[in-house]
Amino acid sequence: MAEGKNLYETVIVTSAKLGEEGSAELVARFKALIEEHGTVQSVDDWGKRRFAYPIQKQTEGYYTLIHFESGPDFTAELDRRYQITDGIMRTIIVKRDPRHVNPKKPQKAHKGEEAHIDVEAIAVEAVESV
Amino acid sequence: MADRPEREVRRGRKGRRKVCSFCVDRAEFIDYKDVAKLRRFISERGKILPRRVTGTCARHQRALTVAIKRARHLALLPYTSD
Repeated sequence: MAEGKNLYETVIVTSAKLGEEGSAELVARFKALIEEHGTVQSVDDWGKRRFAYPIQKQTEGYYTLIHFESGPDFTAELDRRYQITDGIMRTIIVKRDPRHVNPKKPQKAHKGEEAHIDVEAIAVEAVESV
Repeated sequence: MADRPEREVRRGRKGRRKVCSFCVDRAEFIDYKDVAKLRRFISERGKILPRRVTGTCARHQRALTVAIKRARHLALLPYTSD
């Protein structure tokens, strides 16, 4: 069933209340779950981050990005498990387009350098023109 | 035929061609995880800036709104501020 495999990425946001170890343990559990149904390609730990807005009265959480490959049926199961697991604040599962997988890495390198247009200046201009 | 003369007066202000920054970068997709980049396309209040302000092309604006909404879901970007 090799043709039925897709590439996915998932971000898990766990509660800061769990602490570093608790969060790592939770992520390891999901990693194992993914391994059962597919293959984990990479795990990227972003560490603790502040939320842009409070979630359940908390202000920060641990973010982990996992790239994996699996059949299309597994994502529903994974999402179900996310929903019933305590300590998980937010999750997302996104299918990755194989055509975009390769240019992904170099794009991060020159991040912040692509300011060809000055959004602020254009915004001011647009406001003035109204 | 190649370079059409730019119209001199555009409603009283000097025209400045806005170009889609994603087209310039040849971006094939817009990453919802790239918070630094997405931030440039939301207002101070957290709203998504319209195309007429940022100059983003229609195609990339559609991809951009999806990326921003995903980032909001993960609390990487605010839905609103204050």
